[in-house]
Amino acid sequence: MNGNSITSRQTLSSNRWAGRGLACLVVVLCLGANSLGQTQNKSESSGAGSSIHVTHVLGFESAQHNAGGELIISGDALQFRRDGSIAAQVSVSSIQNISIGSEDDQVGGVPLMLGKTAVPFGGGRVVSLFTHKKYDSLTIEYLDPNGGFHGAIFRLNKGQGQTLKTGLIASGAHLPPQANPAEPQSTPEVKNENK
Amino acid sequence: MKTNRQEFPGPTSTVTRLHTLCRALPIVVLALFVLQLQLFVPLAFAKSQTAEQWSLQIERVDPAGANLEPSFSAAIYENLLQELSKSKQFKQVFRSGDRNANDVSGLLVLKTVVEKYTAGSETRRAVTTISGATKLRVRVQLVTRDGHVVLEQTVAGNVRFIGSNLRVTHNLAHNIAKSLKQSALPQPTQETGKDSTLTP
Repeated sequence: MNGNSITSRQTLSSNRWAGRGLACLVVVLCLGANSLGQTQNKSESSGAGSSIHVTHVLGFESAQHNAGGELIISGDALQFRRDGSIAAQVSVSSIQNISIGSEDDQVGGVPLMLGKTAVPFGGGRVVSLFTHKKYDSLTIEYLDPNGGFHGAIFRLNKGQGQTLKTGLIASGAHLPPQANPAEPQSTPEVKNENK
Repeated sequence: MKTNRQEFPGPTSTVTRLHTLCRALPIVVLALFVLQLQLFVPLAFAKSQTAEQWSLQIERVDPAGANLEPSFSAAIYENLLQELSKSKQFKQVFRSGDRNANDVSGLLVLKTVVEKYTAGSETRRAVTTISGATKLRVRVQLVTRDGHVVLEQTVAGNVRFIGSNLRVTHNLAHNIAKSLKQSALPQPTQETGKDSTLTP
């Protein structure tokens, strides 16, 4: 009888130790993954003009709308790459104007929107207050070989627009004289009515 | 023995009437359908045939003093190209500055001028539902090469509930394509290259 109770206690304590060990392992793994992600981000963003993760909103004919990928300046070409292959590219010298704006969008897309709708007593509206993110929007205006005007829009993480713009100017992109590369354009979001 | 019998329609006669009605109804519906086809299809066909003789060159969007972000004007332009190509209303749709359009006969130029722009906020829309709408109103003109205005309209687009602010440009382009499709364009006359004259 006594022997049985001792063995059950031992099993309990060993289970506790195993649980604690597992929790520690999970924490360590999370921290490791996080630091790995940060170093990767740093390496991506520090290589100015080499590779910046963007979302192609519209404009490049051969690339899908709202597709994620990398923008790379390689030689005289600005390339949009998806999964390592070139989805679209334009000559840097054909670029006529580059402008940066700021956007404030809701994250989560349709699934989160449906989730927010399902929250009772209008709780979804409160959630919306915290589920938005600021982005940079980069607009590139360029000419095709026939002289046709194109406008391409990309969404980037905040602060990366200026880096890419500087890289493009350094690679030989033309800008109109009034465009000041030092100041990113930003318009107030609300109460901006012009007639 | 005489009884005052009134002649009420029995259950069998009601059923017969219903049967007759049921038979007549499809015939009436069919007749109406044929009538509608005869009235409207030739009109729509004629409209589309007239428009298909034109080619279109889309000019860049003129913000005209409105504090419109460059991404919005680029998005309106690109969405217009997409929507008007998709509508198949015109023979060819050219970009602004495209040299291939120089030798095309029967070319119309689409000019877009922003009249009013109200910047909205997606977060504000999500939180309040009733405020934060993004609105755009533009004046579109279809002009021939020699500057004759064929069509002038004011078209609006907005995002009130769902979607990002940039979606207003898609809605606007869709509305422009729709209104161009509904409007009757004059017949282009035989022309040689760059000059174009119209017959009313």
